[in-house]
Amino acid sequence: MATSDEEAAIGSQRLDKETRETLVRVARHTILLGWSFVVLFPLYWLVSMSLKPPGQANSLPPDWIFLPTVYNYIQLVQQSDFVAAFANSVLMVSASVVIVLLIGVPAAYVLSRYDIPKERDVLVWILSSRMLPPIAVVIPFFVIFRALNLFDTRIGMVLMYVSINLSLVVWVMKAFFDGIPETLEEAARVDGATQFQGFRKVVLPAAKPGIFSVAIISFIFAWIELLFGLVLTSFEAVPVTLFVYSFIGSRSIEWSMLAAASTAMIVPVVVFLIAVNKYLAAGLSFGVVIKE
Amino acid sequence: MSTPTQTESANRTTLARLRDLWNDYLPYWFMAPMVLVMVMITFFPGAYDLYLSLIAEPTFNVFEAEFVGLSNFETAFTRGGAFHSFVITITVVVSALALETALGFVLAALVAGVDSGRMKGFYRVLFIIPMAVAPVSLATIGRIMLNSEIGVIPYVIETATPFAAPAFLSDVPLLTVILLDTWNWTPFMFIIFYAGLSSVPDTLVEASRVDGAPLWRRYVHVIIPYMKPVVFVATLIRLIDLFRTFGVVYGLTNGGPGTATQLVSINIYEQMFINNQLGVAAAIAIVYLVLVVALCNIIIAKVGFEGVWD
Repeated sequence: MATSDEEAAIGSQRLDKETRETLVRVARHTILLGWSFVVLFPLYWLVSMSLKPPGQANSLPPDWIFLPTVYNYIQLVQQSDFVAAFANSVLMVSASVVIVLLIGVPAAYVLSRYDIPKERDVLVWILSSRMLPPIAVVIPFFVIFRALNLFDTRIGMVLMYVSINLSLVVWVMKAFFDGIPETLEEAARVDGATQFQGFRKVVLPAAKPGIFSVAIISFIFAWIELLFGLVLTSFEAVPVTLFVYSFIGSRSIEWSMLAAASTAMIVPVVVFLIAVNKYLAAGLSFGVVIKE
Repeated sequence: MSTPTQTESANRTTLARLRDLWNDYLPYWFMAPMVLVMVMITFFPGAYDLYLSLIAEPTFNVFEAEFVGLSNFETAFTRGGAFHSFVITITVVVSALALETALGFVLAALVAGVDSGRMKGFYRVLFIIPMAVAPVSLATIGRIMLNSEIGVIPYVIETATPFAAPAFLSDVPLLTVILLDTWNWTPFMFIIFYAGLSSVPDTLVEASRVDGAPLWRRYVHVIIPYMKPVVFVATLIRLIDLFRTFGVVYGLTNGGPGTATQLVSINIYEQMFINNQLGVAAAIAIVYLVLVVALCNIIIAKVGFEGVWD
């Protein structure tokens, strides 16, 4: 350790500050652009497959340059099932995210700020809801959904999506609240705010980056969920993942349609991401409080 | 917690009383809905799986059930391939978790340090997108892009480099699963680490910079300790989720070739829907649950609560 320290010290003497900063910047962007390529190449391939006529989708050597066509998308939209499933998913997933935040964020706040008896056990219990594999959960829920008339209903699916994400919201938000100093609320209380006002006006704004991160992640987890839709819906509440799955289920895979459906599935997430990007960017949670 | 004087309390309206009820018992109101949902989604499935694992045939009348003791568990481990699937699963969990944690942290730290706000936003949005690709879609895209005969990736490797491309799906199926999962889920670590890094107060970092601490030391002694809860939570959640990996393997290899990629979740699925052995499937799920709960308890006891939570 000591030798590498010395080496670093000597190295830093040789290079002047400006050169070093430029080098760091170049190295940084080289790595980031490298990963961008790893991320983008499969996405590019997916999107380009969806824009090629079916016969051209898998030709080798690849047609890097081609005349894009929206043929596959028109085919897709003309299947009313797809549009209905897509709308279903948007509705059910959005509702589940709102509900899971309303339930999970306040509970995480309490777990962070109050002395809960057996707090560790409570937290492990919450996390244990995520430990059963979905396949093992699906049969019991099939039974209970039948009994409660929740089978193939949007409400039932929203419940399932809430159940997937609740532990995640509680755990991640507890970690965030732990990082926000209690002195913030105490100051507000001294100024005459009630407990609830302190939470709403001081702590929540400070936790904004965390809340938006966890909202995105919850949205995505519900959005890509396949198994619950597969077992717990049949017609009314079918989510869009099931539609993608149906292309695989058949004997030969319709690559172009699958690519179009998969591309369409990414769009809401990207829209959501861009919409909350500003808040993710808000960065310093304390900065948010101090500015207001 | 202001206690109103006697005269004030005498004049209180119902609304004000309700407001006090709300404020005085705030922690209870805040916890109640969560506890309610949790009771519903943890106790029932667990109990039902335990019941299924102990009976011969599922029946809707509990009293008619023929209890068979641990024979479903025995079947799972003798003929059900449970042991193999646990070993495979742990291999995937450990390698993918290490890859995703390291990559996610490095990327988050690099993006956090980008000067230009616009580039920062670009990277941040781009790096999260793979998570939006449903594992089932990813598996299918992977299947076509990695195909030895018509896949673009082997084609590019062989035309652009002197190396021969491996047959991803038949020669190195487990590695392929790990790499696809890394592509798919590094974003999860990235976004949580990024938000965690953003919550480190500027003043703290500035102070250590003024002290002349080199970059790595700033990370090891200031930044990482500060965001330890976030790192810990992200890793633990990803660990649990990796254990239940299903969609990507189901679509990519369906457990094969042979049983090379038969993860626990795939094994349970096969016992359940293909072999129609609900009891054996439930038995594997119970063993799995006990294993994961025990593992998480150990991790939390060893790492989690030493100065992280209290």
